[in-house]
Amino acid sequence: MAEIELFSSLQLDAIREVGNIGTGNAATALSGLLSRMIHMDVPKTELVSIYELAEHYGDPMQIVGAVFVRSSGGFQCSLIFIQPEEDANFMVELLLKQQFGTSIPIDEIPQEMIDSALTEVGNIVLSSFLNAINLLLGTQHQISVPGVAHDMLSSILDVVASIYGQMGETALLVNTELSVEGLEEGRRISGHIILIPDPDSLELLLRKLKVM
Amino acid sequence: MAESSIVLGMADLMVVPAPVKLITLGLGSCIGLVVYDSFAKVAGMAHIMLPNSRGLSASEKVGKFADTAVPAIIEEMLKKGATRPRIKAKIAGGAQMFSLPGASADFLTVGAKNVAETKTRLARMGIALISADTGGNKGRTIEFSTSNWMLKVKTLGKGISEI
Repeated sequence: MAEIELFSSLQLDAIREVGNIGTGNAATALSGLLSRMIHMDVPKTELVSIYELAEHYGDPMQIVGAVFVRSSGGFQCSLIFIQPEEDANFMVELLLKQQFGTSIPIDEIPQEMIDSALTEVGNIVLSSFLNAINLLLGTQHQISVPGVAHDMLSSILDVVASIYGQMGETALLVNTELSVEGLEEGRRISGHIILIPDPDSLELLLRKLKVM
Repeated sequence: MAESSIVLGMADLMVVPAPVKLITLGLGSCIGLVVYDSFAKVAGMAHIMLPNSRGLSASEKVGKFADTAVPAIIEEMLKKGATRPRIKAKIAGGAQMFSLPGASADFLTVGAKNVAETKTRLARMGIALISADTGGNKGRTIEFSTSNWMLKVKTLGKGISEI
């Protein structure tokens, strides 16, 4: 496995570009789904201590909604779409309003329907991300059925710690923040897409991008 | 003496004299291991991330892996006055945060492996595991107090239990 702490800035930039292309496609998909403009931050390639993942992304105790998928095939990775719980709820309300034309307050929507809506959004957004990067890399891939969780940020990010913890003490992540524009006053829908390459797949990625 | 509170981070391990409150926030697949000797009035906690230290450098934190954390915390307990037959253990954590139908990846079931390895290591050292709240798909926040030697487990949507 490549030593991630020793990656050059050229290599980290190349990985970031993969994130950029993936996120661009994901933002377009989310925009289509919600019929709203999406603001997308420039993705960052981050080397984060596995002991401080939750602190890196916010308050470890904050309740978040998260959708997680695995991509297997050429470039193996995991992808997580993570939102403050309140933002995820607003997003589900907006989505159901688009689909059915009537507003239903979130506390009247059964949890299974909320989860199924989040799964659907996660599926579309994360598949778009993965399709774009696999097209760029010329690799074939299969995407798992998404998993959904609502919990403390710190508990959710244990999954990242357990992917990178077996190799060392640093995780390489590509992180972008998306936010939905044109919402009513006082409402906010934002989320992070975090790409978690399998440590073993990083070399393949760098070779495909011709920076190794 | 007032009871001071100590919050442990990922892979931290410590043993301290009573009175004390030991806390770990937001355990997902990780394990919170508590050991104590109520006679010697000493308690320890470890925030274990993974089952096995196989193939990793010796410079890693001992608290990170079940196979290194258990012997290390017991040794530390003995140094601080505990005796082995009196040491009791409690564990919480080891959830599986995401279920992906049809997908297989080792890290998805790491919680169950953490639980199994921690139990095995405790048994191998002859330490009595007296209570456990493990598995499921929810994160846990834990608090161990030497005032009653109980471990408080908070789970989102399920409230608080004491084990």
